[in-house]
Amino acid sequence: MTDGMSHEDVLGTLARMEAARIKPLAEAVLPQLGAVEVIHSRTGLVMCPMRDTVQGTDFHLGEVLVAEAHVTLKDHGVEGYGMVTGRDLEQAMAMALIDGALAASINVDTLTAAIRTEQARQAEEDRETLRRIEATRVDMETF
Amino acid sequence: MAYVATRGGERAIDQAERLYRSLMGDIDAQRVAEIEAALPLLIDRLMGESSLYAPELAALALAQSGGDLYEAILLMRAWRTTQPRLQVAEPVQQGQTFTHRRISAAFKDIPGGQILGPTLDYSHRLLETGVLGGAPYRPDPVEPAARPAPARHPSLAEWQKAQGLVHDVQTEPVDKDKIPDLTREPLLFPAKRAHSLQSLARADTGGVLALGYSAMRGYGNAHPTVNELRLSEADLRVRHPRGTVFSAGRVRTSQAEVVTTKGKGALQVGFCATFGWNEMKCIAGATLDLNAPGAAKNSPVNEEFFLYHTEPVEASGFCIHFKLPHYVTFQSALDNLRAAKAKAEAPAKEEADA
Repeated sequence: MTDGMSHEDVLGTLARMEAARIKPLAEAVLPQLGAVEVIHSRTGLVMCPMRDTVQGTDFHLGEVLVAEAHVTLKDHGVEGYGMVTGRDLEQAMAMALIDGALAASINVDTLTAAIRTEQARQAEEDRETLRRIEATRVDMETF
Repeated sequence: MAYVATRGGERAIDQAERLYRSLMGDIDAQRVAEIEAALPLLIDRLMGESSLYAPELAALALAQSGGDLYEAILLMRAWRTTQPRLQVAEPVQQGQTFTHRRISAAFKDIPGGQILGPTLDYSHRLLETGVLGGAPYRPDPVEPAARPAPARHPSLAEWQKAQGLVHDVQTEPVDKDKIPDLTREPLLFPAKRAHSLQSLARADTGGVLALGYSAMRGYGNAHPTVNELRLSEADLRVRHPRGTVFSAGRVRTSQAEVVTTKGKGALQVGFCATFGWNEMKCIAGATLDLNAPGAAKNSPVNEEFFLYHTEPVEASGFCIHFKLPHYVTFQSALDNLRAAKAKAEAPAKEEADA
């Protein structure tokens, strides 16, 4: 469906995509989606647990504010889902519409190409961050 | 009678609030954005103590409270109650976080190496007064290494368990929807470890530091050495309706393990973690966790003592309630005092009269 990209990778890339980039992508595909039923478009909280490294106990760090969108593309009988950290409902909705479009095999090539480009951009951003982090590596033997 | 006084003071209360808010003046989106950009570590501390990861809202709470952290925490925790909980994410595992800083004071050579990350640990602390004279302060840019650091580093505790240096405690796995949750059930003692660590994660940094410091100075059972300190970004891994687990974004987290060699054939380890980058709180919190087993009742490292007294909303709320009208109870105590005094003076007067 998405040229070898897993659903997890697609969703993770879309969720991290800046609002200014994902919204135009969703708007471009919107006219081809037909009737869209919105199941949820809301903000809410996701509880974030962590695993204690000493005794292996899972405990709650706290809650994260998220925006969630869940839609049905009625003409195609598929659902789309988006969740992003923060409170931008339009960003979550854009993600849900793209997820729905891919599930309905609409504009797959265009969307996949855009997601791959974004994935490469995010990887480069991480690489640059990690190069800056690597600059702080120390050898305690000679510190 | 106290209620009568409050009702009669409506105008004064209204004007007092206006006077308070006039200290901050107008608040707009630009001010909030500037606070978020300029004070990331204060935002982190607030999000940790609020138990709510929402940088934009934390900046707004700071703008509204004028920087009074306890007011800001109260605003954040109150706002949180307006939101539904949509799901529980997959547990964050140390070895899977995008690591920015990872050091050990106990071991020089750790798997993955030592990464200082963003820190002032080895820097001079100088106030840049030139800024006040009109010369902007521009920090020297980082000179990136040719190669990137590994994004993920193994857990040091896991390595130590494999070496036999730390007991490998086998914990029964718990469904993520059944992890004990302090926001929905009371803190009871002896506390479940999940409650204890959640409580420390949302505890007041200053309170944890004060009690942790008392343990470090000798009022505890064990002196800590930092086994591992880590600042990371963790993926918030949520579930799609079709079952796919994916990252909805990253959140900043801090974790600390501290160790002592006091023990029976293995290192004893304490742990603490929180939202945001707040390593002071985690080191102090891990020190309390390390010292808690077997601590004497009423000692600062007794679990009940430090968990109850570092809850920021309860502690600050209890403290400031003492400034609210207590006229009836205080008057009653005063009447008793006067009666006792009169009773004590009465025999002396009778003796004098006789």
